Order: sequence, then structure tokens, then C-alpha cells
Amino acid sequence: MKVEGKQAIWKEYQKDIAGDKYFYVRSCVRQNFFPGSETTFLRIMREELGKDIYEHPCHTTCTGIGYHGDVVPLDTMMTVVARQFALMTEAGYQNLVPSCITSFGIYTEVLDTWHHFPEVEAKVREYLRKATGREFKIPQNLAHASDLIYKFRKEIAQNAKFKLVDKETGKPLKVVDHIGCHYSKMFPEKGVGGAEYPYVLAGMIEDWGGEVIDYPERRHCCGFGFRQYLVQANRGYSVACSHKKFESMEPYKPDMILTNCPGCPMFLDKWQYAIAEMEGKTYGKDGYGIPVLTYEELAGMVLGYDPWDLGLQVHQVSCEPLLDRIGIKYDPLKKYNDKNGVSLGVPEKPSVMKVS
Amino acid sequence: MKKKRVIVIGGGISGMEAATHLASMGYDVTLLEKDKELGGHLLGWEKLFPTMRMGKDVVEFLNKGITLSKVNVIRKAEIVNAVKTGEIFTVTLANGNKFESDAVIMATGYDLFDARKKEEYGYGIYDNVITSADLEEKFLSGKPILTSKGNVPKKIALVHCVGSRDEKVGNVYCSKVCCVTAVKQSIELKESIPGVDVYCLYMDLRMFGMHFETLYKEAQEKHAVNFIRGRLSEACENQDSSIIVKVEDTLAGKPLRMTVDMLVLMVGMVPSAGTVKVGKMLGLKFGPNGFLKSMDQHTMGTITNIPGVFIAGTCAAPRPINNVFVDARAAAITASSYLEGYDIEKRISYS
Amino acid sequence: MSQLYNKLLEDVRFQEGIKACINCGTCTAICAAAEFYNYDPRIIADTVQSRNEEKIENLLKSETIWYCGECMSCKTRCPRGNAPGLIIMALRALSQELGYFVESEKGRQQLFMKRVVGGWILTYGYCLYLEGIGTNMYAEQGPIWDWRQKNWGKVLDRLGANYKGEGNGILRKIPEEALDEIRKIFEVTGGTARFEKIEKFSKEKAEAMNLKFDDGIDNEYFQHIYSHNNNTHNIE
Repeated sequence: MKVEGKQAIWKEYQKDIAGDKYFYVRSCVRQNFFPGSETTFLRIMREELGKDIYEHPCHTTCTGIGYHGDVVPLDTMMTVVARQFALMTEAGYQNLVPSCITSFGIYTEVLDTWHHFPEVEAKVREYLRKATGREFKIPQNLAHASDLIYKFRKEIAQNAKFKLVDKETGKPLKVVDHIGCHYSKMFPEKGVGGAEYPYVLAGMIEDWGGEVIDYPERRHCCGFGFRQYLVQANRGYSVACSHKKFESMEPYKPDMILTNCPGCPMFLDKWQYAIAEMEGKTYGKDGYGIPVLTYEELAGMVLGYDPWDLGLQVHQVSCEPLLDRIGIKYDPLKKYNDKNGVSLGVPEKPSVMKVS
Repeated sequence: MKKKRVIVIGGGISGMEAATHLASMGYDVTLLEKDKELGGHLLGWEKLFPTMRMGKDVVEFLNKGITLSKVNVIRKAEIVNAVKTGEIFTVTLANGNKFESDAVIMATGYDLFDARKKEEYGYGIYDNVITSADLEEKFLSGKPILTSKGNVPKKIALVHCVGSRDEKVGNVYCSKVCCVTAVKQSIELKESIPGVDVYCLYMDLRMFGMHFETLYKEAQEKHAVNFIRGRLSEACENQDSSIIVKVEDTLAGKPLRMTVDMLVLMVGMVPSAGTVKVGKMLGLKFGPNGFLKSMDQHTMGTITNIPGVFIAGTCAAPRPINNVFVDARAAAITASSYLEGYDIEKRISYS
Repeated sequence: MSQLYNKLLEDVRFQEGIKACINCGTCTAICAAAEFYNYDPRIIADTVQSRNEEKIENLLKSETIWYCGECMSCKTRCPRGNAPGLIIMALRALSQELGYFVESEKGRQQLFMKRVVGGWILTYGYCLYLEGIGTNMYAEQGPIWDWRQKNWGKVLDRLGANYKGEGNGILRKIPEEALDEIRKIFEVTGGTARFEKIEKFSKEKAEAMNLKFDDGIDNEYFQHIYSHNNNTHNIE
């Protein structure tokens, strides 16, 4: 494989990412499954980088899962999106930063639709007026939260306490990057690096000392599929997708999987557990799973944040083997404590996959 | 009376053949070629479809024409300006030399589609993804066909329509020659690598030329080349540098994953950089696909919007060699009748 | 000209999703659904471009249109700039509009999507809400989720959330006036009408299937559509 070939493609997809003053919209999946990631993101943006990142208490879901689950009509989704734009406009911001990839895809799709069908935009403005009396301006800049971490990856590297390097061997860790489908598959020019060789996570991995692993099923979906995961009768679709990816990446012996979509890390984490239970198979070293991290967790990790502040304790696949390889200190006794240091008990152990 | 002068721009098949005929008709012909050698893309082609005759035979035929008809050939000619003033054309080269003429033949040809633009096929990234032109170079070298690691390939897939019939790369047209080239190269691979399995991944097999269908049949019957109707969606690299291809076998209606040792991309034709550059200098019109535009598709082929400028060969559209010969001779005739005062535009009665 | 085709054309996603298909299979080759189900997005495109009323009606009543996961991988690649995923979204919208969705096992699951995801959106302002997710219905969430479930508030608190709190933050209580705006948007834009149609047609279907039906998620029909799989959907 020739990396120069990829570098040439990366140069073609340089995305304009605003430098400051962001209006932040949260992710439903992130908040429920990886709350520590959003906390960490804001901590990095505000405390490490000194950026103005604003959150409005009245913002809501974009309806993305309902929209892609086909129960929320297009007009409804667009008007809810327009309402988020209105809150941003009213707050005096122009740069929209969604935490969610499905939201990012939806905002991109809406702006593209309005560009091609101005009459649709006019109709949505009318809907919003009628429903809420609000007006809005279209965002000047739309970037996913991972685009921001990508943009400031070198600053993060400068302040990093740890590198993605095996402390014993001195060799870079092997990292699989998994990009959410709706990040750039629909609109390749809107993603850092395009659709085929996205650079948004690869750039972080490289600048933080790791080595990016390319494997045959790299582009395959994690298997959320909206209705395909949520409805039990369809769930085989979801696990089949994740399974395909694990089998494909296994020969490369990755040290971790890095993701930028809220749902993917949950599926890639939980399906490893389920596959172990169903088939007895594990994909990490010595019976463990492959740790799956969000980019916020990884950024916080290299910056030296306490792993239990990042929320690594809510992963089903244990991250301790990864922390140990890098040489990150943590207190195992505090893993399952509450804010005040009181133990919340210890989760049961899976029957097959090893956990720390 | 002073001989009328013609400048032919481009020393590939069409330029050489048009120059030969114009010179043999008695015109003072200057042929400008950017490279150090005449022959254009043909120099990179070992054997030609559908007869498998050697490409160099055709180059020799063309060169003999140039020599016998005494065409004035200027090699390494980099054009920096080309204008028409009154009835006279002036072409200026980078070295300061100027040439004047009464007519110009545009024979500026095509460029191969840059396969790196089909990012998902991994050309320039994956070691065992090559183009049809790269394969031809290997044939020409006479060396055995080997994978990047020096092994004899057991399975090879050829991908049709790379950079052709594809809105995603901006080329909606068919490049015409790739289908039959794939058939030709499949046979050559079969002949040069004993026991190799060869797969052609195609959307439609456009065997339009005389004997093309025969060649296709030969590939199936005699060489057992596999034809799978499906466009390649993506190629991925395995750890051992072999390539996974993902296509749908549309006749079976099933997605198909297959590992091959080598993937050959049948790259199409795009208007050459020289066609675009010189065409703009002369004020020529371009068609929707970026090739030079003739005044009418049916009746005015070779004739452009600038009186005195004629187009020959693949600067106007993708064409196989036999059509390029015919086209070059047609351009010579239309140029000659123009120079003799014949005004074909008088015949136009349609709007 | 097919009436149904004209109805589809009213959806901008359909206009964006299909121009003219050449049946090359680029979409199917990388379709996540095609690798799992008896599903071929190429044939979806080819069927709708036939503009044949009967074929489109059959499609709207079929299992087929519910197999797609809307990952949109097809949109990246189509050499004609089509996107079967967008065609699917238009077909699913029309299938629900006309009540055809209850004719298929997979289509009937829309009641689940409406009541669960739709319910979360209108009740909490979130597309997902942890209190509705338990390992009883989502076993793969594993023992770690059981542990979280025992300690919802405390784990969220530990990770900097503002669970059910006022103001900003993770899983905050979204103010009632904001939720009212969302509900009003649903009314004005056809969201509520879609929900009502899903309920109406599902209720009728439940009666026809002789399954008990009520407003909750524990009734016979709801449990049936959530978990029933006739096992004819997959590739061998």
C-alpha cells in the first residue's frame, strides 16, 4: 500500500472548518451511551483550546433516528432542523457543530436540498413561522465535532501527556478507524478526506503517534441500520455487519478501533460481547475484545485525563489492556465509583469475553 | 504559384496520416509534435485489436508516409500561441519559432483517464491495481507479468468503463475502445500466464467493430475468459496485497466478493491537455464532453467553427485506430477543398 | 402513466434518488442489506423506473422496501448519480401514507418505530432515551448496561451529565415550551398525521390478524411485530 496515493486524495478534500464561536448541538445516542465523550469534548474545546462553544437549553433531537426510521416525514425533520438554526441565529452564532453524525448528515442533506429546491426552503420557513414564530439564518459553517478535534489535533498533540505508542516496544499502536456512514458517504466533499479515504480520524491517529490500519471491510457500515437494530426481529442485520468488520480486521491485530459516529462505538463494543456469547469468539488479545473508543475519549486519553472521567468504564470491552500498553495510570478500584467516590457495585462479568 | 501551407498539430496516428495525405496532394505541410518521437499513444501499445497485429507495424506505415510525402516534422514542439489573423494562421513555439499557414489540422488526440480519480479502485494506493496502459507496457517490455511481490498471478480481473459512462467523474460518454481492449488483453494474459483465471467486469459489452464480436467469442470459447456483468463498486487490499473486488453479478442478482492477485483498470479517453490548450487559443468550440466540436454531427465532421481549422481523430471523440485513419483522410480532404476555395457551408440548408 | 409514480415524484428525495438506472449493480455490490437479506437495490431502481402501476404497488406492499439500513453507501458510488437509499425513503413514506406497510411483516414494524422512537421524540425531545432501553429487549447491551440501569443517575452524574436537570447539559430535561414547539411542528408539517396513519392502519391490521391491540407496548400485536421473523428474508 502506498500512503502517498492517499495523501494526494486527502489534499483534494480540504474542508473549511470554523476556528471559533460554535453553536453546539448534542447527540441523542452519545448522551445515552457515551455521556463522558460529550463532557470531554466540551472540556477540551473550552479548557484546553479556549474556544467559545455555546449550548442552548431548548435545542432538541434533530429527529434523525425517526427520520431514518421513516416515521418522521421529511418536512417535519426539515422544520425541526430549521428550529435548531433559529436558536443558533437568535443566540448570535453562525457556526453549527453537531455532536452526532446522523445529525451532521441530516443538516448537510437539508442544506443541499434547499440549495437545489429553493421552494422547499421557503415552505419550511413558512412551517417554522406557523409552528413557532421563529426565523433563521442558514449556518455559515457546518462541521461535525470530530472535524473540530481534527482541526486542533496538532495543538492537542503539543499538550499530550501520552502518545499512541507501545511503551514496551516503542512501536506505534495499530488503530482501525471507523467513520460513520453519514459523515461523507452522501456528500464526499463535506468530509475531511472525502468518502473513500476519510482523513478525519486518520489525521488524529497519525498526529498522536499511532499507525492507521486499512483493512478490506473498512468502509462497511457498523450495522445500525436504524430499524434494523431497533426492531428485535431485524437485529441479525446489525450483528452481521459488525461481525463482517471484525473478521476482516482480525488478521491485522489492531490495538483499538477509533470511531467518529455516536452509534458505531456502541455497536462495535456491544456486538463483540454478543458474538463472544453466541459463538465463543473474541477478537482482542488473550480473550479480551478490541477496545472501541470515541475520538473524544482518545483525545482526552492522550491529554492525560482520568480514564474514568472519560467514561471508559461504561464500555463492555475493557480498555485497561490499551491503557496498560500505553502506560496510562488508572485506579482500578475507582472504576465503578460515583462522583463522590462511593462504589456503585461491580457489573457482572460476561461468560466468554474477558474483562478487567 | 506559391504552395499553400498547412500546419498539422499533433503527431499521433491522425496527425501523421492527415499530414501525409495533404503533403502528397502538394501542400507545404508542417507537422508539430510535442514529444521527441512521432506515433503518439500507439507507441505504448504492443498488439492491436482485433487482429493482434503489432502496433509498431502501424507506426512504421505512418512514418513511411511522412518520409515519402516529405512532411516537415518539428519534434519537441511546445505551442505557446496559435492565432488566426485575416486568413493566415500563426503558431508560435516555446523556442520562439513561428510557423504560418493557410489551414490548420487539429490532431491533438486524447489523454488516458487518470485512474486515481476513481478513488474507490485504489489506483496509486494498492500495489496490485494497474491500468490497461500499464499492462500494455508490461507486454511491450517482454518481461513476465508478475504481481508487486514478484509472484505469478493466478487470478486477474479487468474492470471496464473506468472513467467512462460515469457521472461521478464527469465523463458520461463511452470511450469505445476499452471493451475490446479488455477482450484483447484477457486473451493475451491467458496466453502469457498458463492457468491464470481472467474475469472481465463489464456493464455492457460494446463489440461494435468488425471482428470484435469474433474476438469476444474467441475469448470465451478458446480461452475461457469469465465475463461478469456488473460494475466494480470498490476494490480493497488484503494483508497479502491481493485485491478484493466487490461487484454484483447482475445476471445472477447477487453481490459478489472475489479476491484477485491483480486488478486491471480499463481506462477511457479524455480530451488531451493539448486539445484543450490549443483549442482555446484558436477559439474552437468544445462539445459537452470537452472534446472539440464539429459543426454538425452527421454532415460536418472534421469541420469546426473556425474556417480553416479541421479536426481529426480523438481530439473530437474517442475512436478506434481504423476510424482514426478514415477520419484523418477525411480531414485532409475537407482541408484541401477549403484551400481550393470550396465553401461547404453553402450546402447547409438546415438551421 | 402510473399514479403511484406521480405520487413518488412529489417527494424531492425521489427526484434526487433516480434519474435513469443502467442496472450496473454498483449499488448492490456494496449494499449492507444485500449481503444479509434477499435484497437488490438495483432492482428497486429498475422497478420504479418501469413506471408500472402494478409493479410499484407490489413494491409498496412488499417486504423488500424495508430491508435497507439507510447507510447511503449507494449514493457515493452510482455512476448515474442515483441513490437507491433515497428511493427507498420515498417508497416507505408512500407505503405508510397509503397504509400498504401493514401488508408486510417488516412494514408492520413501523408501529414499533412510531411508538418507541416517535414516542421518545415527543415525550423527551430525544430520539433515544435510556429508560426505554433494557437488556430484556436489547440483550446485547450486556452486563455493563444492567449495571448502568441500576445506577442511571449516579453514573450519568459521574460523567458530567445533567440528567433530568434544568438548563444545559447531557440528558437535561428539555423545557416543556421547547417540546411544545416540536409537537406543533409535527402537527403543522404532517408528522402527527403520519403517526395517526400508522396507528390507524396498524389497529385495523391487528384486528384482521386477530391479535390483541392497545396503546402500549405490551400488547400481543406490538410484541408480535417487534420480535416475529418468518425467516424467509435472508440469503442462504
